[in-house]
Amino acid sequence: MINFAQTFIDALSLGSLYALAALGIGLLFGILRLINFAYGDLITLGAYALIIPSTEAVATLFIGNWPWFLVIAAVAVVVVVAALASDFLVFRHVRRADPSTLMIASFAVSFVIQNVILMFYGSRPKSVDLWSNLNYQLQMGEVRIPLLQIVTILATLVLMGGLTLLLKRTSLGIQMRAAAEDFRMARYLGVRGNLVIGLAFALSGVLAAVASLLLLSQVGTLSQTMGVPLMLFAFIATVVGGMGSLVGAATGGFAVAFASVFLQAYLPDELRPFRDSFVFGIVILMLLVRPSGLIPTKALVERV
Amino acid sequence: MLEIQDLAVSYGGTTALAGVSLNVRESEAVCVVGPNGAGKSTLMAAVAGGVPPRRGRITFDGKDLVGVAPENIARLGISMVPEGRHVFGTLTVEENLLIGTYAMGDRRHVSKDSELLLGYFPRLKERWRQPAGRLSGGEQQMLVIARALMTRPRLVMVDEPSLGLAPKIVDTVYDALLGLRRERGLTMLINEQSSDRMLKFSDRIYVLRNGRIQLEGPTGELQDGEAITRAYFGFDDHPAPALSEAM
Repeated sequence: MINFAQTFIDALSLGSLYALAALGIGLLFGILRLINFAYGDLITLGAYALIIPSTEAVATLFIGNWPWFLVIAAVAVVVVVAALASDFLVFRHVRRADPSTLMIASFAVSFVIQNVILMFYGSRPKSVDLWSNLNYQLQMGEVRIPLLQIVTILATLVLMGGLTLLLKRTSLGIQMRAAAEDFRMARYLGVRGNLVIGLAFALSGVLAAVASLLLLSQVGTLSQTMGVPLMLFAFIATVVGGMGSLVGAATGGFAVAFASVFLQAYLPDELRPFRDSFVFGIVILMLLVRPSGLIPTKALVERV
Repeated sequence: MLEIQDLAVSYGGTTALAGVSLNVRESEAVCVVGPNGAGKSTLMAAVAGGVPPRRGRITFDGKDLVGVAPENIARLGISMVPEGRHVFGTLTVEENLLIGTYAMGDRRHVSKDSELLLGYFPRLKERWRQPAGRLSGGEQQMLVIARALMTRPRLVMVDEPSLGLAPKIVDTVYDALLGLRRERGLTMLINEQSSDRMLKFSDRIYVLRNGRIQLEGPTGELQDGEAITRAYFGFDDHPAPALSEAM
């Protein structure tokens, strides 16, 4: 029972991280039909923004030394600017292209970001001590919960709540939802295409920024590919949840995390190294039964 | 008000419009009649900024519309109701109706206008907070017409409002359009496949087939219907060049 509670909270916390990243990917896919593989690199970029650019082995904190709310704000600004720049410099020019072209463009953006990071920070992984007091373990009965897990879950709840309010209650949010459903019709009704797309990039940037801070506090090491696995799992989460549905993306994030954490805990020892194969096996089986995901959206409509 | 000159549109290699000229004057109701694939929808999409013309001019109050983004054409006062209804299915009826006023940031007349429009389509009021995807086809058609009018456009274009609807619902839709015309002095451009109803409803008719205007004139002069039938089906001595049916 204790073991189960511990595992459950582990899964919830990992699921939060996946859900955050999956929401960022889902937002862009909803409006642009863009599967942004550069998203993981935006997460990496957010983490690197904390230190002074140098190729030395030891990292010197810069933004990372500021009070926590300034850290979040500054990293969010950096990542949002990078996300908007990727739209302005790359995606805007291939907007009418089909989704596979957009995806390949996102691979290119991904390589560029990784190599820019290599250029300014060098290739050696650097250990960074961000918010180490979050590693404090709360004792609740027999269960020990690292504070970081609670912060991760809470941060995700706050962001998901905020995003829901924004999309449901504000004028811009309603325009975004309309554009995600039928971009061309929304524009015929006066919705500014570049505005809602820019907003989608900005929001996905904010989500990436928070994800990068949570990820870095967890792993404690910077590397120029640190965001890639998170992006990959988040992408699988959006597929599992149903491409184009934000509720689906979040659900998918939690589903993938629960599958992976529980398999890690309950698989026989000799099978544990193959955990991810089991996770992806389950994903494949699920997609055979529900090809359009757990929470499918209606037919995806062509964009202008 | 709306002037189209020698408009040509192609998709890939296929020609949808091959030089169409058409005009709509202030507070007129003009109808474009033609069979499936004649290019009617392409004509409206080109005016609304949805497809780029290959050649030709489109002006609205003297302003050139070619190359203007759809959202800015909407701001000039042209509202488009495309074929196939296109409600935002996960948005509520209310959100669908208000989306244009959100987008243009003009909320002054919202309560007055929604009241007026709901007077014509009371069934929308009953479903105010439901997702629009759950409405019947007829209700969706009412919703998209009401939605197009909430921003007080000066020209509204409706693409085949009767397509796939029961005759009774078609009556409701046209009664509303007629009422709004009287009440608002609305200028309209309407596409239909059949000319019967349009002979009563509109001031002028264009017959479009194979991407070309085959016949045009005031409805009063086309009442016998025979000229329209000939133009519509192409029973004339020199058939129009065969063009593929792109739309």
